[in-house]
Amino acid sequence: MLLLQVIVGGLLLGAIYALFSSGLTLIWGMMNFINFAHGEFVMLGMYVSLLVVMYLGGGPAAFGFGAAFALFVLGVVVYLSLIRYVLRGPMLAQILSTFGLALLLRYTAFWIFSANFVSLPQTSLSGTINVGGILMPIPQLVAGVIAILLTIGLHLMLTCTTIGSQLLAVSEDRGAAMLMGIKPDRMQALAWGLSAGAAGIAGALMAIAYPWSPSVGETFGLTAFVVVALGGFGSVPGALFAGLIVGLIQALSAFWFGPIYKDIVVYALFVALLWLRPQGLMGKA
Amino acid sequence: MNKIPALSPTVLLAVALLIYPLIFSGAFYLDVGVTFLLAAISASAWNIVGGYAGQVSVGHAMFFGLGAYAPLLCYKLYGWTPMAGIPFGIAASVALAILIGIPTFRLTGHYFSMATIAVAELIRIYFGTWDLVGAAIGLQGPATARGWWDLTFRSELPYYYIFLTVLAVLLSFTYLMERHRFGYYLRAIKVGERAARSLGVPVQQTKIRALVLSAMFTSVAGSLYSVKTGFIDPESGFGILVSVQMVIIAALGGAGRLYGPLIGALILIPLQTATNTWFGGGGTGLTFIVYGGIIVLIARYEPGGIYDLWEQISPRRWRRKHAS
Amino acid sequence: MLLEAHAVSKSFGDFFAVRDANLSVGEGEIVGLIGPNGAGKSTFFNCLAGDAVPTSGKIIFDGQDMTKAPPEAHARLGIGRTFQVPATFEGMSVIDNVMVGAFLRHPHQGDARDHASRIIELTGLKAQMDLAAHSLGTPGRKRLEIARVLATNPRLMLLDESLAGLTPTELQEAIRLVRKIHEMGITIVIVEHIMEVIMTLAGRVLAFNQGHVIASGRPEDVVKDEAVIEAYLGRGSHRVRRRSA
Ligand SMILES: Nc1ncnc2c1ncn2[C@@H]1O[C@H](COP(=O)(O)OP(=O)(O)OP(=O)(O)O)[C@@H](O)[C@H]1O
Ligand SMILES: [Mg+2]
Repeated sequence: MLLLQVIVGGLLLGAIYALFSSGLTLIWGMMNFINFAHGEFVMLGMYVSLLVVMYLGGGPAAFGFGAAFALFVLGVVVYLSLIRYVLRGPMLAQILSTFGLALLLRYTAFWIFSANFVSLPQTSLSGTINVGGILMPIPQLVAGVIAILLTIGLHLMLTCTTIGSQLLAVSEDRGAAMLMGIKPDRMQALAWGLSAGAAGIAGALMAIAYPWSPSVGETFGLTAFVVVALGGFGSVPGALFAGLIVGLIQALSAFWFGPIYKDIVVYALFVALLWLRPQGLMGKA
Repeated sequence: MNKIPALSPTVLLAVALLIYPLIFSGAFYLDVGVTFLLAAISASAWNIVGGYAGQVSVGHAMFFGLGAYAPLLCYKLYGWTPMAGIPFGIAASVALAILIGIPTFRLTGHYFSMATIAVAELIRIYFGTWDLVGAAIGLQGPATARGWWDLTFRSELPYYYIFLTVLAVLLSFTYLMERHRFGYYLRAIKVGERAARSLGVPVQQTKIRALVLSAMFTSVAGSLYSVKTGFIDPESGFGILVSVQMVIIAALGGAGRLYGPLIGALILIPLQTATNTWFGGGGTGLTFIVYGGIIVLIARYEPGGIYDLWEQISPRRWRRKHAS
Repeated sequence: MLLEAHAVSKSFGDFFAVRDANLSVGEGEIVGLIGPNGAGKSTFFNCLAGDAVPTSGKIIFDGQDMTKAPPEAHARLGIGRTFQVPATFEGMSVIDNVMVGAFLRHPHQGDARDHASRIIELTGLKAQMDLAAHSLGTPGRKRLEIARVLATNPRLMLLDESLAGLTPTELQEAIRLVRKIHEMGITIVIVEHIMEVIMTLAGRVLAFNQGHVIASGRPEDVVKDEAVIEAYLGRGSHRVRRRSA
């Protein structure tokens, strides 16, 4: 029974991993670019939620929307002011741009919010429910389910809407997309907004259920690398599937070997993947 | 024929570094000097793979840390002189370099960067739980020297000259590398991997060699650090600051340039010392913010660092240099 | 035969960029490849140079199966290629660019530099030797690509539109250069849109359209071929006319 509870807990956390990782994979798929600050976007989403609750009030819907919106704007701004200039530049500039940004955001957060762990004041979402003998904290349950729905929503948006097909067109062939009257720069800015927005709302969901400090950004960023590598670079369904698996692996390794091993096992999985299946579990060989 | 103008700044620099401790003999200045040399060594080591080969490692602390732990672990386990651990650190770093290089260098450069940061973090966390290496507390060297071979000196002066020697060896190596086929191949790979392969450059093998060399020297830098301080823990060995320092110093000065890391260290180390003195311990968080900002600015405006900036300002010098 | 390609196909997803292409090139020949835009000429080149692995088919060079060999192995065996969009090493000087090629047969820096200097003289780049590659215009960079490949001492050179975008004088010069390379005993396969180049240089021509080889033979026969005229009229006639004017 305990094991079952661990498994469900891992899957619910994994659902949130899936959501923010789908943001990372979107950028990779579209412009072959890895955002080293993605975890910091999630972390900022958590603090935005806290600030909204503290200063504006309102329930999960309010701070969820607030975090998504704030990070969407940040994503667009980061693209327009930084990424667009390094995208076709040397590898050094590509890597350092977001690596530096990660440091900047992480340590600014340390400076403003201190290294202490915080959590949201109790919201209307609290308590546990008993599902067939498994005790589920309601916040985790709600956050996990919403995260899955949003990830599926993002996938549907990318595959079934005009905006989605325009984004896809840019990622496949910039030149051809331009001939079709699509503005690649605008589409890429939108992709950064969506990517960061997904991270922001994932942060808000995470904040409902778990305490955090500014250092979580680094862990989430690396976790997202693993999820994206496992699911296949560029694939949102892959990220969903892989996010759940990574959440599960983490929960089980914490359960069996001790909490300290949860990240070690996941990072080791990353190295193993690079050796065995760099295209991801779901990618084509 | 251009040997003389190319050499004279080098001679000036060498003389300046040689006599620095004689002029600034106070403990504080000596400490700054030693810190500068260590930073320059680490960043120059990073430069081989990150600068010349253009494969940007953001987790080089893994090699530094292995190099740092090895001497003190040898001392702890067998009571050997810490020096005896240096080859073990190098061996472990080479093995790790190959482990990471082989799978990632087949893919685009992003994979390598991601792998380096993930592995560095993995090792840092793992060492924090591993009792053999003192877990979170870390390891210590000999409290008092049993002989000169323990390399445990009261004064910083011997360290200064040891570090200076290592830096000289590393820079000479890099200088020769630049002029060797290997150096040409690295530069070619950096700007055009596909074209390089079409000309018969063994890209994968060349990149792995660069990483192995870089890892070896970084490991030595780590060993020097722990032998000098007589102490190492997961954060000072494998922490992100260690990696960030190498990256920022090399990139600020000029990645892929012989003296780039030296220039970077010359600017950053005094700056860092000053902020630490003014702000005390609370300055470290602020240091990171400033570092992050500088890194972003380099990426956005001048990926070639100060070296490139300088060349743009003085194009005539540049042409003469390239006429060699 | 020096080079033989048997039924080479290359597909991207369901789309066949090259389908069942056959080519055999004898030692000392100059073979031209023509065809409208998107016909699959560059993709075919990539297969021949090891830059792309054919989906099916076989490529034999000097008796060795090269179908799946990597590009560096092709270079070692003596297959050199240029890129349609010049891929010179930006930021490196012209001589350093050529030296990267020269190092293949001359591991020592001094020898490589001597060899590269000879090649640079031969290709007429002497005046620009110490300039950075990116300061050359497109014609200069295409010439540099030829020089770089030449420095690897190839037996076969694959030239992908290396003569495109030149002024009439530059073009004559370039044609002389290709002749000179040919006289050195190097076999050449050349992709070119400019008919004048093909007519003067090539002894034999293959015409591509939509991935297929639609005609082959003597240049003067191929340009009169119904299917070839049809292909150009259908897709890229304006380009041919403008380029060959
Ligand atoms: N990597 C790729 N992925 C998908 N399609 C490709 C790829 N490379 C080429 N193609 C397609 O294959 C077809 C053939 O292209 P190729 O470049 O070989 O033509 P080409 O004959 O060289 O044309 P041009 O005269 O314009 O150089 C084109 O339709 C092109 O869009
Ligand atoms: Mg072409």
